[in-house]
Amino acid sequence: MKFNLYIGAASSAILLTIMVILTEISAGFKGVLTSVFTHHWIAKVVVVFLALFIFGYLFRDKKNFILHTDEKAAWHFTLAALAIIFLFFVFDFLA
Amino acid sequence: MRDLALYAHILLGLAVIVLSVWILFELNKKSSKMVRPLAAVTALASWLLLIPAGYFYILFYPATKTLIKAGAWPWAHAIFMETKEHWGIFLPVIVTVAAWLVYTNRAEASRKWWKLAIIVAILIAVMGRIVVMGATA
Repeated sequence: MKFNLYIGAASSAILLTIMVILTEISAGFKGVLTSVFTHHWIAKVVVVFLALFIFGYLFRDKKNFILHTDEKAAWHFTLAALAIIFLFFVFDFLA
Repeated sequence: MRDLALYAHILLGLAVIVLSVWILFELNKKSSKMVRPLAAVTALASWLLLIPAGYFYILFYPATKTLIKAGAWPWAHAIFMETKEHWGIFLPVIVTVAAWLVYTNRAEASRKWWKLAIIVAILIAVMGRIVVMGATA
């Protein structure tokens, strides 16, 4: 089975970042994740895991993703996700 | 059970770092039969790491969190634990991409992903230490 895990990783990075921010600013969203998966952290693990392989499979023949080559998209979205998650919690604490 | 999970958490985290370093050394050789099996084991270890991590985070961390938030270092939870718990979810993705590159004959392209995995894993360990210190501060 062929995958493009560059696009899978970029998709996972985007979804994780969105979920991190939404669970902090929306109790309703956090509640939905908790009600479906028993804990919001487990929900994030499941979504990230599934996104990596499902998007990696669906976009297996694509060479571009959101105005980037697949390789650059994976690298840039990964670094951006790590930075945004850290900075979001810094600003959230200071706010 | 708690001690077993603690040791598994530490050992699997350490394994991801050590194996990633080992893979980088193997990639420097002209030919190595070790890279593929090492990459597969490292990817597996990175996903398995989530089991003891989740066990601790969900069952035991809430009490520690209360202690940290009431202590002198509330930022240890608000910034470092929150970042750690989410970077930890993404570490297996980074390692899996690196392993996938090895298996698709792009070992050279995997180098920067192994390096990133090492850096992220070390930073997660440092953040874990800060959180532990925050509980007694």
